[in-house]
Amino acid sequence: MSGAVAIVTLFMAGISSADTISYADAVSALAKDCGKDIKKLCSGLNLGNNRIQDCLQKNEAKVSPTCTSTLTSVTASISQRQAAQTGFFKLCEHDAAEFCKGVKGEGNILACLLKTKRIDNGKCNQAITDAGWR
Amino acid sequence: MLAHRLRAGLALGLLLAAGPVAAQQLTDRQLVTSLSQVSSEAPAIDIALLMEEANANVGKGVANQPNWSQLTHLAQLLVEIDFENDSVAIEPQSYRTVGLIADALHHPNLMFYKFLVVGHTSSTGDARHNLKLSQERADAIREALTTTFAVSPDRLYAVGVGKEMPVDAANPKAASNRRVQLINLGMVK
Repeated sequence: MSGAVAIVTLFMAGISSADTISYADAVSALAKDCGKDIKKLCSGLNLGNNRIQDCLQKNEAKVSPTCTSTLTSVTASISQRQAAQTGFFKLCEHDAAEFCKGVKGEGNILACLLKTKRIDNGKCNQAITDAGWR
Repeated sequence: MLAHRLRAGLALGLLLAAGPVAAQQLTDRQLVTSLSQVSSEAPAIDIALLMEEANANVGKGVANQPNWSQLTHLAQLLVEIDFENDSVAIEPQSYRTVGLIADALHHPNLMFYKFLVVGHTSSTGDARHNLKLSQERADAIREALTTTFAVSPDRLYAVGVGKEMPVDAANPKAASNRRVQLINLGMVK
């Protein structure tokens, strides 16, 4: 139950704020601020399945404070970006039907919406920004 | 837009000629552009047959094998992802490259396509060990993309080919032979 609430909260955060960052920028920050700690404390562990995150959290006492804070913000930003990308289709459904009638394929719909000046102030516009698809 | 595409296309040609792309040169837009150039006659690829051919040709190369030779016809990109020595752990300096791939795979132009991750080694070390390690590393990249980066698992396949398909065949030990190929396999059914 609390899991569902958390997801909803992140989703709301994702679509209302304009500063989601890309996966690439998120993990670059992780590498920059946690690289040394990862090499020292999590040697041999891979990026998948939360292993790096779990390792850094388990070793929190030894991990640098900068890394701990970066880890928190990186995790949040990845969830935000994810929520924005999932939310795009629903938030832009109406605009797509109105301004891009007959356009097929998600990539083409996005390209059409990007050219449609009339969505400039709407939620769909914000969703495209948050999803990182400008 | 058109100018941008031309630039990306040109850059891709140069980069493919020069070997793997360094993370700082690579952008997710570049990835999206090059990986979405799908031709309708693209051959269907059977991953199990690729593995079979790689296992049956350790030390002999696979470039001329029927299934491996098909891969050259598909939209693809070479990237460099560094691992800890003899391990599946991706070096933090290569996290960005994996993140860029994730950004590209989540773009609407590519989000309904399947991809194959192919891991390659240089000829340094035992050929059979290299084949096994490259499979494990390709699996590790797939795992990172499908968990940490939320790419749907049914869109990603992984195969290792060890030292059997060097990009620089004249210098099998060259570092440029250690690389990751990301190949567009076509639409998800």
